Amino acid sequence: MSVRKEEEHVVQRALRRQLLQGTIDRRQFLTRSMVAGLGMAGVAAATKTGIGPAFAADDRPLTPTFYQWIENLHPGIATVNGEFPGINYQIAPVEGFGIERFVAEAKAGESTWDVYVGQTPFVEMTAMKEAGVIEPWDDYMPKEVLDDIIPSIREENTIDGKMYGWPFLLDVIGTGWHSGLTDKAGVADEAPATWDDFLAAGQKVVDSKAAPWGATFDSHGWRSVAPITHSMSTDVYTPEGLFDFTSEPAIEALKLMKTIMAMANPDILLEGATDAGVNGTPDEVAFAAQRVALYFKYFNAPLRMAANWDDPTLLHLGPLPKFPNGEGSTVFWTTGCALFKYGQNKEKAAEYIKALTYDPQIWKDSIVGTPSGHPGQLPPYKSIYADWDANKPDWMPPFVGLVRGQLDRAKAITNNLFGLQQFVIGKPIWETYLKGEESDPKVAMQKVVDAVQAEVKKG
Amino acid sequence: MTQEATIPLSPPLARRHEPSWFGKNRPVIVRHAVIIFFMIIIILPLVWVLMMSVKSLPDSMRGDFWPRQFDFTHYSFVFERIRTLPINLFNSIYVTTATVLITTACAVLAGFSLVHLRPRGAGIVVAVLLVSLYFPVRVVSIISIYQTQNWLGLINNTAGLILPYITLQLAISILIMRSMFQLVPHELIEAAKIDGAGAWRTLLTIGVPMVRNGLVVVFIVNFVTAWGEYLLCLTLIDDEAKRTMPVVLAAAQGGQGQWAWPNLAAVYVIVVMPGIIAFTFAQKLFFKGLMEGMVKG
Amino acid sequence: MAQTIASDQAGVHSNRLGGRAFLRLGTGAWLLLLPALAFFVGYQVWPIVRVLWLSFTDYKFLSNDPSQWVGLANYVEALGDPLMWQSLWRAALFTMMFLPGTIILPLLLAVLIDRVTNRRLATIYRVVLLIPAVIPSTLIFVLWKWMYNYQVGPINHFLVNTTGLFTLQNAPQWLGGTPLTLPSIAIMEIWWGLGYHTIFFLAGLAAIPKDLPDAARIDGANEWQVFWHVVRPRLAPIMMILVVLRFGTAMAVIDEYLIFGGFNRASPTYTWTIFMYDQAFKTGLWRQGYAAAIGMIGAVAMMIVMVLLIRIFRPRD
Repeated sequence: MSVRKEEEHVVQRALRRQLLQGTIDRRQFLTRSMVAGLGMAGVAAATKTGIGPAFAADDRPLTPTFYQWIENLHPGIATVNGEFPGINYQIAPVEGFGIERFVAEAKAGESTWDVYVGQTPFVEMTAMKEAGVIEPWDDYMPKEVLDDIIPSIREENTIDGKMYGWPFLLDVIGTGWHSGLTDKAGVADEAPATWDDFLAAGQKVVDSKAAPWGATFDSHGWRSVAPITHSMSTDVYTPEGLFDFTSEPAIEALKLMKTIMAMANPDILLEGATDAGVNGTPDEVAFAAQRVALYFKYFNAPLRMAANWDDPTLLHLGPLPKFPNGEGSTVFWTTGCALFKYGQNKEKAAEYIKALTYDPQIWKDSIVGTPSGHPGQLPPYKSIYADWDANKPDWMPPFVGLVRGQLDRAKAITNNLFGLQQFVIGKPIWETYLKGEESDPKVAMQKVVDAVQAEVKKG
Repeated sequence: MTQEATIPLSPPLARRHEPSWFGKNRPVIVRHAVIIFFMIIIILPLVWVLMMSVKSLPDSMRGDFWPRQFDFTHYSFVFERIRTLPINLFNSIYVTTATVLITTACAVLAGFSLVHLRPRGAGIVVAVLLVSLYFPVRVVSIISIYQTQNWLGLINNTAGLILPYITLQLAISILIMRSMFQLVPHELIEAAKIDGAGAWRTLLTIGVPMVRNGLVVVFIVNFVTAWGEYLLCLTLIDDEAKRTMPVVLAAAQGGQGQWAWPNLAAVYVIVVMPGIIAFTFAQKLFFKGLMEGMVKG
Repeated sequence: MAQTIASDQAGVHSNRLGGRAFLRLGTGAWLLLLPALAFFVGYQVWPIVRVLWLSFTDYKFLSNDPSQWVGLANYVEALGDPLMWQSLWRAALFTMMFLPGTIILPLLLAVLIDRVTNRRLATIYRVVLLIPAVIPSTLIFVLWKWMYNYQVGPINHFLVNTTGLFTLQNAPQWLGGTPLTLPSIAIMEIWWGLGYHTIFFLAGLAAIPKDLPDAARIDGANEWQVFWHVVRPRLAPIMMILVVLRFGTAMAVIDEYLIFGGFNRASPTYTWTIFMYDQAFKTGLWRQGYAAAIGMIGAVAMMIVMVLLIRIFRPRD
């Protein structure tokens, strides 16, 4: 409540100054004071009618907005917020990666918020840049931070040579398995080196009845088609930056998915339970119920699901399998922060994000887990890893080194306006092959490309 | 079994020419069996949630009815660890309470007025109220309600929810109270007028006590509706901390982390139990009110 | 509010504005009606009127362009979009799955409970039946969403582990856009309304004089004949009200589809209400003018069928 009072006071001061300077007249002063009295919630409504310029003089408190799941998984954020008194912390209205609100505000030249934490480069970054919602961090990010970012991550967040995203939470796709189940099945307790090993292990689990299902994955394209494709080759993007669904590696990936499905939970293709179907997916439930032995997804998924086991330490992690002659790469992405072009407090925002992303407690909680959750997401900075290498903390589990190592081999999905959309559009189409309605994967994938192209042309 | 059988009970062991006890009472037994079958179907899901709330985490993922290991810590966990839970509960409580009180008051006033004060045009008002029950008002009007709230600056404002919530069951509340007041003999009201009482006094001292049962019905109906309202809260409020409890529960992250299923179940029990308990105490009045209201309507 | 109590007992015709004059003028009546009417008009009548008006414009909430009057263009576009018809049909499908169960089962239960002579048992039955009715709607949906969970929900656990009717491989996939999704929601709704409708019918049955069915029984009619010839005609008016009301609520379902489904156009839960909501609050620039037209079309379609239903099932006296 005191945040609101401070806002009003600050705004009143600004308005009074403007009135004295003659920037606004009496009538505007009265109108805007009244609007200010409605509180920040009313600003969203009022700014549509053009009161926005009243706040152009940087006089509202820092207003970051977060994607809901980030707050759920990282309780340390609240502590960092405490270091910035008066901060107006918000949750973003972005279920299912929806950015319409941001786009609409940018069109009107306004922004209710200053910085958005939850941007994944291949998902929203291009769209936000094209719509003029965000601007680069280059003027505000300290140089030592910029240099501290791991090169592949820095490249992921760069468009036209500028940093449009300040990376925060790193996710890499790899393998997780239930060593209890694999032991019971007589399968070696190690990450399968190739996809053939993976399939063999899964089959053995099913045959020995150690578990109903041998392996599972998340059927969304960027969590399945993309990483499997990368494990063969990362040179699968068209000149425009779209994923090349008809490339040899992608077709092999699709065929592999179908093979895995024969030993996976039957509801694997269904949408998830929350966040517009993107989260709470069937693979997660199956893994958490200890009914499937092998699993590949970003590491925080098996980590979170294993918390439901009788013995969570039975979870072992390893790199994604590769194709016999493949590159052996995988997919990574970072969830980071975007700077609103029409927001304010830009220097303050940079300070805040720096504090947030370097906060040691957030990283410890993320790696070790808290009762609120065990995300297993990692930092983007070289210095933090160097620190850990130099003085290894006693709580450091082995998977961190594994992920860090994988990162050097991983590649991000290329940024594109349709970076995420292409997978969303393609999913029902390539699933016709997975469900057996279409017998030729090449035909299915060609249809995917056609559909994506149709959407791209619509503009 | 029951005292229903008026036929003399025959011991099942004796060989007689009369049909056995089961044979004679078969219709009764079948009747109760069928009813009890449905009772079980109704209760079972709720019992399942209750069990879920005291299961250990691994057991919650197993689907067996009886856990291998009990874990009662979830109830304290949800209050201590889930940051927004007390806030959401508080939001639900005060929005619901305000809605129930205001709606009941409006309905009582309106019902009394329509029946005993008989303003001109009362017929039209009742007709419009009736029609509104059949038209999908809430669904279609959400667009405009959003705009109204936006104009009032009430988007993302919890207290602002009260305004649209009131109208959710307003029409039926008025109609119920109207039925109730129709059971109050008009002569009583007239007598009060002759005695010199004003409209208020008549209402408060004579009218309201006589429609007590109707009040219970209106209370419960509005309470249940306001507590569970999803669409309006989802649309009008973005911030999780400002939402009401049921909406947060519905969006809870797939049963993981702090929202692991036993925790969800614990919250569920906390939210649902008081209502059920209160209802079992008030049920006599509630049924009386329902019967009186429905027979008329 | 004038609360003057006329002091003179004999003074029946008080001239002061208050007491009797207050009541006689009728202004008091409207004053008491005012709060209720204010809310009703403000949040039910006015919004509908405005939505109607909006449906004739191209209003987009997230856009700063002034909205233009476009006449019937939105309606033409909506009626020409196959999704409109598909989504209407899905709502109709759900209604057809839901209505019979929600009339027949409660009727059966009511007839049974009505014949129970033990007062305490009857009360216990009625209270238990009504428990779902006093659980807030969203919590009912959340409960059943868990119950229908393919992996760990009790329904599939019962089907697979307890009774062995299915295996883990072929157990029904209740939710998630499968063809079973609408029936699943229908079953939940029937469960939910069971108690409430049973009470409804019980009230109706209570209004039937006891000697009529008894006389029929003495004449030798069996239970079924008693029901069909004596009870049913008298329940017909109540049944019709319930059918029409429930038809209305079933066609206008939205919360359930938001919770159980999503915004996938191919999903069976994408009905006209979700279509309207999608256009108004989710996609693009929030085309609320277009969404208003969708809403109006759906509402009018529903009302037409309801009027037909009333015509067809009007009890012939």
